[in-house]
Amino acid sequence: MTSQTLITPDPALDSAMRPRGIPSTLGRVLREPRVWLGLIGILTLIVTAAFAPWLAPHGPNDQDLLHTLLPPMWAEGGTSDYPLGTDSLGQCILSRLIYSAQVVALVGLLAPLGAALVGVPMAILSGYIGGRVDWLIMRAVDIWMSFPAVVLALVLMVALSPGLTNVILAIIVVDWTRFCRVLRSEVMVLRRRNYIAAAQLTGATHLQVILRDIAPGLMPQLLTLLSIEMGVSIIAEAILSFVGVSMEPSIPTWGMMIADGLKSVFSAPWGLIAPVICMTVTVLACTLLGDGLRQTLDPRLLERVRG
Amino acid sequence: MPAVALQQPFPDLPQVEPTRHAIDTDPIVLDVRGITLVAGNDTSRQPLEVLRRISFQVPRSATLALVGESGAGKSMIGKVLARQLPQGFAVSEGSIRFGDHDLLAIDAAEHRRMLGRRLAFIPQEPMTALNPVLTIGQQFIEHLQRNGLDARAARTRALQMLEEVRLPDPVAIMDRYAFQLSGGQCQRVMIAMAFATDPDLVISDEATTALDASTQAHVVTLIRRLQQRCGTSVIFVTHDLGLAAQVADKLVVLYAGETMETGPARHILNQPLHPYTQALQRANPELTGPRRRLFSLPGQMPGLSEFPSLPGCRFASRCAVTDERCQRGVPAMVDVDEGRRVRCIYGASAPYPMRSPGEDRESLQPPLTGALSGNPVPFLSIQGLHKTYPGRNRRSPGLHAVKGISLDIAPGEFVGIVGESGSGKSTLAKLIMGLETPDGGAILLNGKPLGSSRQDNQRRILSIQMIFQDSRSALNPRRKVRSLLTQIMEARPDLASAVPRRAQELARDVGLAVDMLDSYPPQMSGGQRQRVNIGRALCELPQLLVADEIVSGLDVSVQAQILNLLLALRQEHKISLLLISHDLPVVRYLCSRIMVMHRGEVVEQGNTEEVLANPQHSYTRSLIRAVPPQDSSQPWPLEEQPI
Repeated sequence: MTSQTLITPDPALDSAMRPRGIPSTLGRVLREPRVWLGLIGILTLIVTAAFAPWLAPHGPNDQDLLHTLLPPMWAEGGTSDYPLGTDSLGQCILSRLIYSAQVVALVGLLAPLGAALVGVPMAILSGYIGGRVDWLIMRAVDIWMSFPAVVLALVLMVALSPGLTNVILAIIVVDWTRFCRVLRSEVMVLRRRNYIAAAQLTGATHLQVILRDIAPGLMPQLLTLLSIEMGVSIIAEAILSFVGVSMEPSIPTWGMMIADGLKSVFSAPWGLIAPVICMTVTVLACTLLGDGLRQTLDPRLLERVRG
Repeated sequence: MPAVALQQPFPDLPQVEPTRHAIDTDPIVLDVRGITLVAGNDTSRQPLEVLRRISFQVPRSATLALVGESGAGKSMIGKVLARQLPQGFAVSEGSIRFGDHDLLAIDAAEHRRMLGRRLAFIPQEPMTALNPVLTIGQQFIEHLQRNGLDARAARTRALQMLEEVRLPDPVAIMDRYAFQLSGGQCQRVMIAMAFATDPDLVISDEATTALDASTQAHVVTLIRRLQQRCGTSVIFVTHDLGLAAQVADKLVVLYAGETMETGPARHILNQPLHPYTQALQRANPELTGPRRRLFSLPGQMPGLSEFPSLPGCRFASRCAVTDERCQRGVPAMVDVDEGRRVRCIYGASAPYPMRSPGEDRESLQPPLTGALSGNPVPFLSIQGLHKTYPGRNRRSPGLHAVKGISLDIAPGEFVGIVGESGSGKSTLAKLIMGLETPDGGAILLNGKPLGSSRQDNQRRILSIQMIFQDSRSALNPRRKVRSLLTQIMEARPDLASAVPRRAQELARDVGLAVDMLDSYPPQMSGGQRQRVNIGRALCELPQLLVADEIVSGLDVSVQAQILNLLLALRQEHKISLLLISHDLPVVRYLCSRIMVMHRGEVVEQGNTEEVLANPQHSYTRSLIRAVPPQDSSQPWPLEEQPI
């Protein structure tokens, strides 16, 4: 009763007048064509990988030694049995491409998640606690990053022996520093905001502050980093399999196909061109998704657009 | 007399030879006629009139002030002149004559030549207007070279101008970078640059808003002196009616893109005619005269998207004396007398003083905010508090930010701490809140010392809460209002079931509509965010609120709303308040006791009225002098001191 007479509610605060035409975050993200293109590319990859046995006309290692180095079906001498032709062992290039998607999809999805799992806690520790912990973690990252990434991964693979788990592990070990570096600076920015001090004044524990007030602020950058890291880890895996230290020889990958195609590039260029196109399109999709997410989620870019 | 001394020439300085342009004889420098600015070229919707038929003239050597709160469109006028309109905005009708040019018709190259040379701007934030990677000298000389001076002449001119804005050691300043100067010094550099090309018109866009009161006084003095020396006309864009009346000859009061009232500055301040101008004047706390309750205009200025739904007077929805005539169409500008025009159906006879229906005679006087009971035991007692920030290395002495401050606060008492930036008042707040550890002295809460142990922190949290300065950074943009208001209850999971009800109570307490509970801070206006900020501090009903500059940066009418809210909360919840501010009139309005801090020390304290009426310390006197007086016939600013 007293409060009603003392404090006049603001009549302009009706729900009708509230939002000033700011679309929701999800709406903004989905309206961005780059996000769409990226998502379509990545979904295509996943579907291809999941349904490889049904989609591929041949097994990945089926050899037809009578028909080696066939050109694609639309070229002279090609047959519709082998739509993209065959390689030097008479293996169907299209089927190998489709089966390769399995490794690519697994590496592309799991390696970034793993790298984030290591990098994000380190970033939060480093940025939130600061001081000596920060110094220690950042010097470790500096030393880590001063190794050439490819060499480090190669050494690791030689030590670990080929296999899917080890490839993913090697990529995580090399690339967690990216997450740590980028997100640490973001944590430091958030840490200095007054709302963190305000949360501490309400008696929240450090863990509560991190979970409720810091982690949500990291999401836009984390999503962007994850999608960029997808492309990076797909390339890293291709490099490793190009030099033959990634998977067992029985499992096809695009990197391995590029290495094989290179040997007969003058007689049958499609053995090289096809996997290169696949790689390029996939990595481009990841980059587009990352770029689109960054544009639509980064509040700093948003302010500028809104003017 | 110091006021006269300002107009005297400076014999020690080389005289600036005014290079007048061809339009010397023309008495009107800028003639804006019926400018309408529209946004949104969608054919589906009708165009949105951001500015509606704005007209004003700026005579030679005169000062015109554009007054209005944020969203009034006053900065848009500057953008029209500078051709820096945001995308989708265009002038649909009207004309702007600048000297003998039609400013809207001339081609881009000619317009660019005119900017800087004949039409100069002083920006709101000097720190961001200066290029951080170039020295002041490089930027200044480049600016002058663009306007036709050779390098040697440009350097001489730059030095001369820097000296003229009374910067110490101009030669050294030329080699400095913007970050090495203070805000006030940067603003002086910007003023020197604006006047260096001897322009016909200088537009100062909220140039003093970001500065504290005494720096503001210096800057105003400087602009006025340069203006008198060079015969320049000035457009002064500001939200402060009192300041505008002091610096300008003529005022244009804007509201939601529409001129509400124009006329000679002093007349408008002494007797505002339009209900909005009246409200603005009565929302401004005063440093002298009888204490009266601030009028707080309900609601907020309509946003751009709401303009099409306001066919009539755009102020009608907040006006106390509106009737159905206001909705029928835009009221015409009525000529009142001697150049005064007002856009109101009442013309010159709008009821004054404007009063909202519930307001009775007692509430015209704000409550005195002394201790509640007769013989109060101090609830919070600070004894000889010290804090030194260490220097970079062992040799530098460090910064002694707080030097032996003692202070008692009784229940229900409102105490104000006043001082300029760097006086240590924010550090004191951090010490009280436990965000910093004191190097000496003690803080007693209800007689028991408050340290940094877990129990002590818990005790502190339940009794003292802080309202942070900038509501934008103090509220997590990813939390809903509901979660922000009850943030303190998160640390106590046993209270989880009480959260929804408490959120509603708090929203009502701070005057927020209940359906706001589900919105996010970026969707709200500054005033609404500040209400959330206060509501969060009130959640556990603390005995003391520490408020650090909570109204600086808010519009006058929003400031009045917040100040009255704090008074109402005191009456309802018996809270005490420690208000930290650089704004003396605000402190006078709220606080019964005042403490003046200077360089970490208390130089004066006591009953607010007594201290302000009879200041003992020279620093207090200089703070009081820096406030523009309500009586516009008094000369202001009085004198100039070095920064």
